[in-house]
Parts: sequence; structure tokens; C-alpha cells
Amino acid sequence: MEPAEAEFLAEKELVTIVPNFSLDRIHLGDLGPFNPGLPVEVPVWLAINLKQRQKCRLIPPEWMDVEKLAEIRDQERKEDTFTPMPSPYYMELTKLLLNYASDNIPKADEIRTLVKDTWDTRMAKLRLSADSFVRQQEAHAKLDNLTLMEINTIGTFLTQALDHMYKLRTNLQPGESAQSQDF
Amino acid sequence: DSDGGSEELVLTPAQLIRSLEQAWLNEKFAPELLESKPEIIECVVEQLDHMEANLKRAKTGDLKVSVHRMEIERIRYVLSSYLRCRLVKIEKFFPHVLEKEKSQAEGEPSILSPEEFAFAKEYMANTETYLKNVALKHMPPNLQKVALLKSVPKPNLDSFVFLRVLERQENILVEPETDEQREYTIDLEEGSQHLIRYKTIAPLVASGAVQLI
Repeated sequence: MEPAEAEFLAEKELVTIVPNFSLDRIHLGDLGPFNPGLPVEVPVWLAINLKQRQKCRLIPPEWMDVEKLAEIRDQERKEDTFTPMPSPYYMELTKLLLNYASDNIPKADEIRTLVKDTWDTRMAKLRLSADSFVRQQEAHAKLDNLTLMEINTIGTFLTQALDHMYKLRTNLQPGESAQSQDF
Repeated sequence: DSDGGSEELVLTPAQLIRSLEQAWLNEKFAPELLESKPEIIECVVEQLDHMEANLKRAKTGDLKVSVHRMEIERIRYVLSSYLRCRLVKIEKFFPHVLEKEKSQAEGEPSILSPEEFAFAKEYMANTETYLKNVALKHMPPNLQKVALLKSVPKPNLDSFVFLRVLERQENILVEPETDEQREYTIDLEEGSQHLIRYKTIAPLVASGAVQLI
């Protein structure tokens, strides 16, 4: 999956905006109604678009706050395992919201750094786990607290590596069912 | 707004799109071609047509128009990506896909839609003609046949996949990787995420109990 596709999925998450226009309810997504000054929840893709057209102000999600994120980062650094993240799309949402609406987000730069630090710690742990998974030839792993973007970043490489290992291993055993395709 | 005509599945538009996205992700990450989902495709296409029609009638410049247009584009993207993903697999595994479709029992779901089936057959015929004209007819008479089923690689069902559990499952067998290991069973809790071989959980993907990610 391309990172852009992971972002595409993340864009469906809901975020609160304060519109400066009015519009009645829109079907399909059950969006709106929109009234000036009244907060309403919309998917991120719409929020970003409206913001770009200067039709709203974005309210950062509750977790996008310096103290909260510092706590999360510290927790992540302390533990060997993965801590649950405040949003399954924390990375994509941070990037999108800080890119398009940093003026609506207090201490945007600090937030960016904190999220990046947390990401880096988690990716380092992920590389270690992946390495140990391959080395010990595990057949199964439980990855509850990993987010899609993290899985996606290492996913293709890891599954391909495991496939190669498997092929090498099964070819060592002679007389296996004639599955080998050596064309 | 849209109720469509005769829906056997009574899904809200939002649920329909959710099903499409699930089918899309599963198809993307599964090593083999999954069952075709004609009900979902038909309903999505109908939904899109309906939305397009609505748009034509609305006044331009209306904010609603651009929001609907964006929604339509997003749905279209998922639909196209899903169909394209299937075509890639059909081209990659064409003899096996056709073989599997032929051997599906009565009442078992199809792997290919009628259009995909026609495409696969044509692709096979074209490949055979191509190989014959470019190489085979110049070979000695006893070497002029190619067994496509044997030469075209099969999908690797032993690939590892990532999944999220939608419905709790008990006692899923995990086969050992090496001779020294023993097999063991695990329970899949709802909402948990796992990395495991595709083969073991293939039926769970088909039944919708797990979602590939």
C-alpha cells in the first residue's frame, strides 16, 4: 500500500471544524448541517478542503496537545513494547493538519517534533521486532498497538523477506511436492 | 436520498462504501484472487450514477456540488483501484484463475465476474497465440506445446499477511516454520492485529471475519 493510500484512509477520520458559512445536511456521509460559528464534525478530507477555501477554522483533536504528546513520547521511550496511540492515524493526521491548518494549532512546531520523536522510537522498536521475528522464524505475531502507517512502512519488506526465507527453506527439503517452479 | 431499486442487501450508502473499502483492502493484500463481489460493485456503480445525476440537476457554484464531487471521486478511486488490482492478478495467474473458476461447484460463489471471465479467456488465447507465433511454431514438432498451468507460477498462499480481527475466532492453527517447532493454536480477539500466513486464515477473509491490512 502506498503511503498516499494510507493517508487516503486516514482522511476519513472525523475532525471538528467551525464553519463560517451555512449549508443544510449533505447526504451519503450524513455531513452537516453547517452553521456559522457552530462546531461540527466532518471527515478530514472535507475539513482540509474547506480550510483551503477559507470556509472554516479547524479545531485540533484533543490528543494534539503538547503535554499529552510529551507524555506519550516518554511512555513510548520507557516501554519495550508498543504503547497504544491516541489515534490509529496519528502520523497522517499530524502531517495533514499541521500542513494545512497550522495556524489553528497552538505550538505546531513542538507538536511536529514530539510526534516525530514518538514515531522514530516506534519504528526503531519495529525494526528490532521484525529482525527477531525473522531470525527466530516465528509463524505468528500479535501487533495490536501498531498503526496502519507503521505496518505499511515495514510491511512489504517484511512479508517479502519472510516469503524468500520460506522458499529457501522448503527447497532444502528434497522430495517435497513438486511445487518448485524453476522456469 | 438514494434507495435504488431492488437491493437484496439493505445497506445504507455508508455501509456500502465500507464494504467496498473492505473488499478493496482484502484484494490488495491477498496473494490470490478473491471471490468477485458483484452485489457490491453493482450497488456502488448505481450509487455513483445516482450522485452524478443529482449533481447535474443542482445549481453550479453551490458548495454542495463540490462536496458531492469530491465524495464521488473518492469512491471512484477505491472502485477503480479494486478492479485494477483484480485485473493484475487475473493477468498474473490466468491459467490458475480459469481453472479454479471451472472447478467451482454449483452454488459456490464465482471468482470472476462475467466480464472478468471473458477477459481472462481472451488473455489466455492471446498469450497462446503469441507464444505460438513468436517461438513455438519454430520449435521441433514434439516441443510445440506449452503447459500454461505448469509454467505460470501459482499464487503463493504461504505468504505472510497482516490482518485485523472483525469477529472473534477461536483455535486457529499456526503451523510451524521449522521442523523443530510444533504447531499451536491461537485465539483471535476482536480488534486485535496479527501477522500470519495467508493459507490458514484464507477462509476467514472470505467470510469477512478478518480484514487484511
